[in-house]
Amino acid sequence: MKKSVTLKSLAFSASLLAGMTLCGNAYAGDVLFGNIVYAVGPAGQNGALWAFSRDGSYSGVTLLNFNVSSKGSVVTDSTGQSPVESDTMTAARYEILEESLAERRRIPAVYAGSKLGLLLPMYAMDKNDRYSKPAGFYSILDLKNVNEHPIDVPSIATDLDTLKNNPIMYGISGFAYDSTAKRLWVARGALGLMVHDISGKNGAKDTTFVLNSKTGLLEKIKDKSSLDLNLYPEIFDVSIHPESGNLWLATSKGVWSWSSSKFEKASDTLKNSRVTGIWMGGSPLQIITETSYKNKDKIEGGLWRRYDKAKEFSKVNFLDTAGKVQKKDVYDEADYTVSDVAFIGKTAYVLVRTVGGSISGYLKLDSLGARAWELDEDGKLQWLYGYETGATDRKAIITSMCSFPLSKNRMGLAIATLGNGVSVSADSGATWSVVLNRAKLNNNLGSIRMVPSVIIAPGDESLVSYKVGRESKITIEVFSYDMRKVRTIVKDAVRNADAVRSTNPKEDYWDGRDDHGKDCTMGVYYIRVKDNHGHIGWGKAMTLGGNFR
Amino acid sequence: MINLKNLVVASLAVGVLTSSAMAIGFTKKSELGGFDGFVERMGGGVRELGRGNTGSADTATMPAAYWNPALLGFRENLGYTLNVEKRDLDRLGGALGIEGKVGKRMGVGFAVLYRGDRDFKIIDEDDQTVSTSKPFFSMFYLGFAYRATRQDAFGLSFSMSYDNLDIADSKYFEGIEVEDSFRSPVTVNLSWFRQWNAKWSSSVVIRNLSFSKNLSARWTKNPSKDNSLYSTEGVRPKILQIGLGYRSKILGKPVYAWMEALDYQVADTLLAFDPQLHVWTGRVGFECEVVPNATFRVGMDDLNWMLGAGYKFEIRVGRRKFPIEVNYAFLYETSAGLWSPFSLGLRGYIP
Repeated sequence: MKKSVTLKSLAFSASLLAGMTLCGNAYAGDVLFGNIVYAVGPAGQNGALWAFSRDGSYSGVTLLNFNVSSKGSVVTDSTGQSPVESDTMTAARYEILEESLAERRRIPAVYAGSKLGLLLPMYAMDKNDRYSKPAGFYSILDLKNVNEHPIDVPSIATDLDTLKNNPIMYGISGFAYDSTAKRLWVARGALGLMVHDISGKNGAKDTTFVLNSKTGLLEKIKDKSSLDLNLYPEIFDVSIHPESGNLWLATSKGVWSWSSSKFEKASDTLKNSRVTGIWMGGSPLQIITETSYKNKDKIEGGLWRRYDKAKEFSKVNFLDTAGKVQKKDVYDEADYTVSDVAFIGKTAYVLVRTVGGSISGYLKLDSLGARAWELDEDGKLQWLYGYETGATDRKAIITSMCSFPLSKNRMGLAIATLGNGVSVSADSGATWSVVLNRAKLNNNLGSIRMVPSVIIAPGDESLVSYKVGRESKITIEVFSYDMRKVRTIVKDAVRNADAVRSTNPKEDYWDGRDDHGKDCTMGVYYIRVKDNHGHIGWGKAMTLGGNFR
Repeated sequence: MINLKNLVVASLAVGVLTSSAMAIGFTKKSELGGFDGFVERMGGGVRELGRGNTGSADTATMPAAYWNPALLGFRENLGYTLNVEKRDLDRLGGALGIEGKVGKRMGVGFAVLYRGDRDFKIIDEDDQTVSTSKPFFSMFYLGFAYRATRQDAFGLSFSMSYDNLDIADSKYFEGIEVEDSFRSPVTVNLSWFRQWNAKWSSSVVIRNLSFSKNLSARWTKNPSKDNSLYSTEGVRPKILQIGLGYRSKILGKPVYAWMEALDYQVADTLLAFDPQLHVWTGRVGFECEVVPNATFRVGMDDLNWMLGAGYKFEIRVGRRKFPIEVNYAFLYETSAGLWSPFSLGLRGYIP
């Protein structure tokens, strides 16, 4: 058994290596609005993808167009960028990484037809200049029409101290577009459910409802009693059933679905659970939900699924590499929450992230559950795909994921990362192409760029960016200001000639530490890159230091 | 006539200290370059730089408040020094000092050591150069000395660092209230100098004792005013610096040999006896007055090679004579393969 596992791992690793070889740097130059990408979403046409970036107070979108080469890899065809209209608004809210509640940790990015385009939540700055006030949603039609759609907050909501002091309680955490009725449903947490009706001739009309958990009916907010969260549960997500066309709700009191005249609980198993997200798709149909709640300081969560003809939700099985169901899953290891779910055929790709973002990656769910792709040397099963499997070429937090049509007969996968741009796959995640901004480099180590050149926190990485004109053996060393060598990053490592960058992102970075793993003190450091052809280049990095150990 | 005995003694001492200089990286626990204190590790004064950054056992060394405050006890006039070093990779440094006699047996001096980078490009995650900063790092010394006998003096100096990373205004940190200037607490340096006879002198300097736990020069730096960035800790290792000076003549020319051994304790303890927590380095330098008032120097600091030259002259203003010395140093930083030909210094006395 062990041998077969090893062989399988070897085969998988080989395919990964092949994938990484294929994993091209699809484009060079100023491609994205920014490399810190918070969300990706379909743009409604084959090969088209939206990416939303934010860097400080600058937010904007990039429209990427891809082709698939004859070899099956993704080629970036063209790009365009546009800033959002107001720099006091953004889709990536403050503390989205540090937030612990699942429904507040994701950025729903949903394509809602040609009239509304890509939808993203919109947050305004509060008095402390932090993007924390739910303000409506973006409707992105094209690069010239990145529209802001403000939503009114009922005055009774602002009268209540709970909501007034914690407006994220009514932040948008889900969209569902009913293309038949031309209605957009928006999950608004404590404020229930909003319908944005664009079917009328006199423009769009917004109405907000709360769900009466006793009657199963939607009621308009009338007075403060409408914000009784025991009677009117928070609505965290909304989805349209692709077969029945009925509306499904993920709420703080279970999963509800529309049934002829009222909402009814759609699951006995989850009837009292705090269900924070619901995603539907794939063939056969999969309905995936997440339960998540705060137990003292810990986040307790679970991943549930209703697969194909099943009548009830069951917990997603986590399998080892041989297919044996495990007693413990990733939720038992850390405080994961779901950021996104993408579907291609029979497979669901569930993107998860820990609070703080120290771990992020996606699970691949087949008909049996989430299957581990490796048993590592410590005997630990690896379920999360990401950096280790070649989805990103640097250790970057993965924040968003979607599937989108690459061509008429091929679906693509895309992931957004904080700092490493967007990765796109044309073969369901076997190989990836990275799209990100890169500065032009002079050949033969003529310019060395440390990206970014300031290491802010211990363990952050600064990429040593360089270019060689022919295959070279590269040595990278870090020196202190007084030219004492503190670190050898690589020694005589073989690097290939490349038109854009010869750097191997998996190895050629400095994390602000010396050869013994100690954090170097705050200051300026000098990075020397040498090849075996007599070329030498220098870069500079600053670290804000770490802890003395 | 060459004094063979002296030559053998000097050669042996040089050999021992040079091999000490080669024995860097003794520790496997930490790299010295990752610690605070590079400003004082790099020395101050072009005259001393040209002879391997040796100066603690020479009464003429300036600025004495940095090198060895006990030397201030031998000042007869008001002395000053001004030095500039331009090193490769946009590094600019320098030192200045002023010192003089107080009473019959005491001296006082002030010194500033400066190091900076004139062209640090802040590159963001998008691989865009968003701004250029000019970070600098400085050390201030205020030294006092008491000459106990004609041969012995004891010194004390207070030192403090002030660093500025010059990043607070960068667009890269937009939205964060960055604090980029940091001042260390005051640390104490103790020293002793003895002129044994006309030929030999010695010095002992203990650096970076603080008033905190373990007497360690350790402090916390918070790079943001709103606590949105990780705070960090700075530690300047305690240093034991032992110097030796030897004066002789070769072919009738005055010749000087200077040697220093330095022990850096790279641990936050009062005393660490584990050799893994120490880094030893050595310095050695020679100088010869090849023609009257013109001195040629050569030295080695750790693995770095230096060459230097100096010329003394006087300026007369009325009946008063002002002795001035101009110094030059050439430096080769061996590990990094960098050479720096631009180091100039000026020093003198006001009688």
